Amino acid sequence: VTDFEGLLRILQDAKVEFILVGGMAAIAHGAARVTFDLDVVYHRSPSNLVRLANALKPLRPRLRGAPADLPFLWDAETLAKGLNFTLTTTRGDIDIIGEISGGGHYQDLLPHTVHVEVQGVSCLCLGLEKLIQVKRAAGRRKDIEAIAELTALLEERDAMNQ
Amino acid sequence: MTNADTSADDNSLDAEIDAFKKDVDRTLLRENLKLTVTQRFQKHRQVARFAEKLRNAAQITRGAE
Repeated sequence: VTDFEGLLRILQDAKVEFILVGGMAAIAHGAARVTFDLDVVYHRSPSNLVRLANALKPLRPRLRGAPADLPFLWDAETLAKGLNFTLTTTRGDIDIIGEISGGGHYQDLLPHTVHVEVQGVSCLCLGLEKLIQVKRAAGRRKDIEAIAELTALLEERDAMNQ
Repeated sequence: MTNADTSADDNSLDAEIDAFKKDVDRTLLRENLKLTVTQRFQKHRQVARFAEKLRNAAQITRGAE
């Protein structure tokens, strides 16, 4: 199982600018669906690319599903040339997302984030309303059940706060 | 795509989401909402470990067939 807290701590310690999105963002809000990878949207500033590349390098990242002997150089230049990376590391699976379908880049998502704290690790997490909006905009059939759960979660949360 | 098309798509999506919403375990969500984020992560880790064990067991069973 992916070491979610460990990966978040590594990113935080390296001062990587990122936003928690996807399944673990849903878990942070209270969803019950199981997920096996960590999804983060990262800021594509040159300095952040260096921090992100250096933070994950000790975890020997490689492209998930690619042949083991396929050469893959993990550095800031690779990050700059690409956008979204689905990676396997020694700490588990992590999706490094430069632009999220239906949501845009780091800066677009920033106004829709909340601070969450997981075992002493403080990070930005996409807000529940925006998480639903992004999943709807992405238009993937596989997300419909997740959207239904997140919408119910939003209703329950609002009812609890009234 | 016209506004009418977009609206029809939205309505269709809403109908599908509503259909799935009926099966959502709201008791579980209410329980989760009472937890801290750390507790939600811990709970998820336990479930994910169990799910992975099941997945591995299923692979072993398929391999033995």
